[in-house]
Amino acid sequence: MSGTARRGALALVGLAVAVALALVLAPRASDAIAAAAVATVTAVAAFVGSLPAVRAEHPALARAALTVVLIDVVVFATAFLSVPTDFNLATGAGMAIVLLGLSFLTGASGQISIGNGAFMGVGAFATAIWANHHATTPIVVTLLIAVVVGALFGLLLGLPATRLRGPYLAGMTLAFAVAFPAILSSFSSWTGGDSGLQLPNPVTAPHWLVGLFRAGTPTLTTDTLWLTDIVMVVTGVAFFFMANLFASRTGRAMRLVRDNDVAAELVGVPLPRTRVIAFVVSAAYAALGGALWTLLNNSVSPATYGFALSITILAVIVIGGIGTISGAIIGGIVYAYSTNVIAWFVARTGLDPQGNLASQLNGIIFGALLIVTMLFSPMGIAGTVRHLRQRRSQRERG
Amino acid sequence: MDSFLTSRVVTDILGGLTNGAIYGLVALSLVLVWRATRVLNFAQGAMPMFATYLGMGLLSYHWPYWVCVGVCLVAAFAIGALTERVLVRPLYGKPEINPIVVMVGYLIILEAFAAAIWSTTPRSLPAPFSPIDWRLAGQPVGLSPFSLFEVVTALVVMGAIVTLFRFTRLGLQLRASALAPEVSRLLGVRVGRMLTLGWMLSTAVGAVTAILVASNFFTGLTPQLMDGIFAFGFIAAAVGGLDSPVGAVASGIALGVVLQFVGDFLNSNAIILVALGILIVSLMVRPNGLLTRSTARRV
Repeated sequence: MSGTARRGALALVGLAVAVALALVLAPRASDAIAAAAVATVTAVAAFVGSLPAVRAEHPALARAALTVVLIDVVVFATAFLSVPTDFNLATGAGMAIVLLGLSFLTGASGQISIGNGAFMGVGAFATAIWANHHATTPIVVTLLIAVVVGALFGLLLGLPATRLRGPYLAGMTLAFAVAFPAILSSFSSWTGGDSGLQLPNPVTAPHWLVGLFRAGTPTLTTDTLWLTDIVMVVTGVAFFFMANLFASRTGRAMRLVRDNDVAAELVGVPLPRTRVIAFVVSAAYAALGGALWTLLNNSVSPATYGFALSITILAVIVIGGIGTISGAIIGGIVYAYSTNVIAWFVARTGLDPQGNLASQLNGIIFGALLIVTMLFSPMGIAGTVRHLRQRRSQRERG
Repeated sequence: MDSFLTSRVVTDILGGLTNGAIYGLVALSLVLVWRATRVLNFAQGAMPMFATYLGMGLLSYHWPYWVCVGVCLVAAFAIGALTERVLVRPLYGKPEINPIVVMVGYLIILEAFAAAIWSTTPRSLPAPFSPIDWRLAGQPVGLSPFSLFEVVTALVVMGAIVTLFRFTRLGLQLRASALAPEVSRLLGVRVGRMLTLGWMLSTAVGAVTAILVASNFFTGLTPQLMDGIFAFGFIAAAVGGLDSPVGAVASGIALGVVLQFVGDFLNSNAIILVALGILIVSLMVRPNGLLTRSTARRV
């Protein structure tokens, strides 16, 4: 009981400090109120989530609390970042959702998809097509429609997956990724052909958010912040659902299918259904990521969703740590910053930025990392970190 | 008779056979590697592409055409051997997604290196024979000296592979190493060498394919040359069965003919869609391929 009291006191002190800082530092009352509200929600969520009783008895509630804390912190931070940084982070967050889906597919079935860039494109185009026909639909509904369309495509391609073993699923999804541009141009009256689609009503920041900013702040700033925060909240919710799925009975059944499908079948896990569910979920998550990208860019272009994107997705999740949740977050960050890091490297080494080598550096580095990761540390960054921590704690215990 | 020969159907069949020969060759090279080492080689298009750049680059130094082709084959043998020894060997016995991911990484890196060295601008290769269709009573018949050369080359390569595997001592050792490595090792077969040889042969078959594709498909030689062809080759191999060389070749040729009709009578976008549909349906009906015998899986 004293533990609960101590945690409560800690949360209250943290809250008091945060509110005091907000009152002192914020230039206007409205800023201070907003900051204090964020701090309160964070403190309450952190308190609830850290209670041992909650963590033991209601793991889903604890995960929800953790999600709220993380979303709060990220949303608070994005208010202070520059427009390009926010945009970059949101792009990475959309990618992280896609990676999470792929991570789940592999973690649950031991199989891999090389076509998730195309499923991403399905969601991206579904969003744009729907928005062009029903301009007034709320964002949440549009996103859900994109997810459903992505899931249906996943089901269509996943049906043979029930019986596939070995590399057939990888090969089939690769063929889908290669075929996707042809699918888009076959339906060019819907998809806009080579030029793609624009959103009729770009997402704009609501008045109360604009009111928090100094008068005369460019709308680009507030609109980008609003979009970024929408993406962050959706990402948080997507991760919350996935964390629960990983820990659920279904998730455990799926891991058994991955490790030993014969044993799974013997204890009564329906193999075909489990495999199809894993594939459909991964396709739906990819579609959600693509839908968010369409919102972020206000438009969608078929060039984005080529074969190269599918390969990049595979590379990034393997480097982050396939089969894990944290691997998807790491992969999203790697994706968001890879372009910057490579540009920095090119400037540093004095390579001609327009030259052949500099423009191919991305592929060379990702390809090399992919091979090195698989040969020497197949669990990626997340798995390696976990492994090192386990070893250290074992050594400490003697 | 003349109008029949030049009719759309015959033209499509002849053109389809030419494409099908290419798909069959890609499928065959995939099957060779799959049977030897249980790896689906996603870099099966990229490795020969690299070898073709290496060999055909010598054309600009005025080396004779056929010598350059020879250099391509030697480069392909070397790349195949090196790949198996360095990249693939550590993967035997690992979970099945590991080799898939490594080969995708290899595909990325080979295409990036090729573009970094030789740029992405297509490089046109001279065709050794005229690519212009023969004419009968003023009408093109859908077959040119070069496409005849393609079909003949494909048949010769396929025949050579079959002969090697069926009728030679080396072929017996190759098959034995793939099917029962432990027993073969006990009987004195150098299994490791045989696996390497499987990769070398497969890459060489790929190099022949890459040269034909780069000379004929009006695309020239590019780093991404084989991406699309690989997809069709995989579809052919999967429909025929990854374990069946004959099935791979046969379904490659059939796929080429069917898709030629699709492209002619529907439109060019429909080609890959129909191919994807064929793949999905055939995998649902026969997950291990149409032309393989079902085997019980060892637990």
